[in-house]
Amino acid sequence: MEPLILALECDPAKPILCVPPSVNELFETPTIFSIGSFGVTRSMLLMVLAALVVIALLWAAYGRVRLVPTKFGAAIEAVVGFVQNETSGVIGPEGVKYFPYLLSLFLFILVSNLFGVTPFINFPVTSRIALPMFLALVTWFIFVIVGFVKNGPGYLLSIVWPRSVPLGLRWFIGFLELISTFILRPFTLAVRLFANMVSGHLLLTVLLGSGIVFISRLDLKSITGILWLAFGLIIYPFEIFVAVLQAYVFFLLAAVYIQTSVHIEH
Amino acid sequence: MDFLAQAATGITGNIEELKGALALIGYGAAAIGPGVGIGVVVGNAVQAMARQPEAAGMVRTNMFLGIALTEALALIGLLLYFIT
Repeated sequence: MEPLILALECDPAKPILCVPPSVNELFETPTIFSIGSFGVTRSMLLMVLAALVVIALLWAAYGRVRLVPTKFGAAIEAVVGFVQNETSGVIGPEGVKYFPYLLSLFLFILVSNLFGVTPFINFPVTSRIALPMFLALVTWFIFVIVGFVKNGPGYLLSIVWPRSVPLGLRWFIGFLELISTFILRPFTLAVRLFANMVSGHLLLTVLLGSGIVFISRLDLKSITGILWLAFGLIIYPFEIFVAVLQAYVFFLLAAVYIQTSVHIEH
Repeated sequence: MDFLAQAATGITGNIEELKGALALIGYGAAAIGPGVGIGVVVGNAVQAMARQPEAAGMVRTNMFLGIALTEALALIGLLLYFIT
C-alpha cells in the first residue's frame, strides 16, 4: 500500500522531492555578487534593508517637525513612546541615556523578524546566529562597561560576594551568579531570538510547502494538503505575534541587564 | 554474554536515523519542564491581574520576562536536535 504521507513519486527531474533539503540548506543564502574577495549574500542585503527601513520609518515620522502629527507620525510616536515608557519603567530616570540604543535595537529586531512573514522576502534575518549573537555581544559589552564605570570594582564584588545571601551559601551563589552574568546571559539572549525565528521559519516552510505539494497532486490526497495549508495559515498570524514578542523580549531583557549594572545589589 | 554488546550487534539499520530519533525524544523531554513552567508563570500572572487589575501593566511585563527566561530551555533542546 502506498503510504498516505507520500505526496508525489520520486521524480529525478525534481530532486527536492527525493532528497529533501536539510535545515542548513534552508538558511544558507548563495552569494549574489562579490566585491573583491568579499561575497555579498541575500541575507546581508536584507540586513541593510532592515536598517534602511528603520531609518526611513523614523525619518518619515520625525523628519519634519509638525505641530499636529500625521496619522503615520502618530503611529510611530506610539511605538517610540511605548519603548520610552518601558525603558524608564525598568531602568528608572537614568534610562534616558540608554533609550537611543534600546529603541534602535527594538526597531531593528522588529523589522528583521517581520521580514520572515513579509511576502516576497520570507526570510527572518535574525534566524542566522551571527546577527542575534552580535546584538547580544554589543548588549553584553554595554552592561559590563556600564557596571564597571558606575560602580568600579564593587560591581564584580557584588556579583561574586552577594551580601544579601547567608554567609555559608554566599560563595556558591556568587559562583552561579558569575557564570550566569558573564556567560549565560549573552548566550541565552542570542539563542532565544535565534531559535524562535528558526522554528517559526521551519514551521511555515514545512506546513505551507507540503500543503502546496499535496494540493498540486489534484486527487484524493489533496484533502490532506488543504488541512496542511489551513494549519499553516493559522500559524501565520501566530508568527507575526512571535516576531513582535521576541523583539520586545530582547529589548526588555537588554534593559533589565543594564538596570542590574546601574543599580547593583548591596 | 554482555546484554549491551548483544543489543549493539543487533542494530543493522541506519544509525543516523536512530540518532535523529533519539534527539527527537530528547527534545520532547526538554519541552516538559518549560511547558509546566510557562503554565505556572502565566497562570499566576492571570490570577494576579484578576485580583489587582490596576497592577496589570507591571504584571504583564514581568510575565513576558518570566516566559522568555523559561522558554529558553525548550529552545536549547530544539537547537540540540538540529546540531546533533
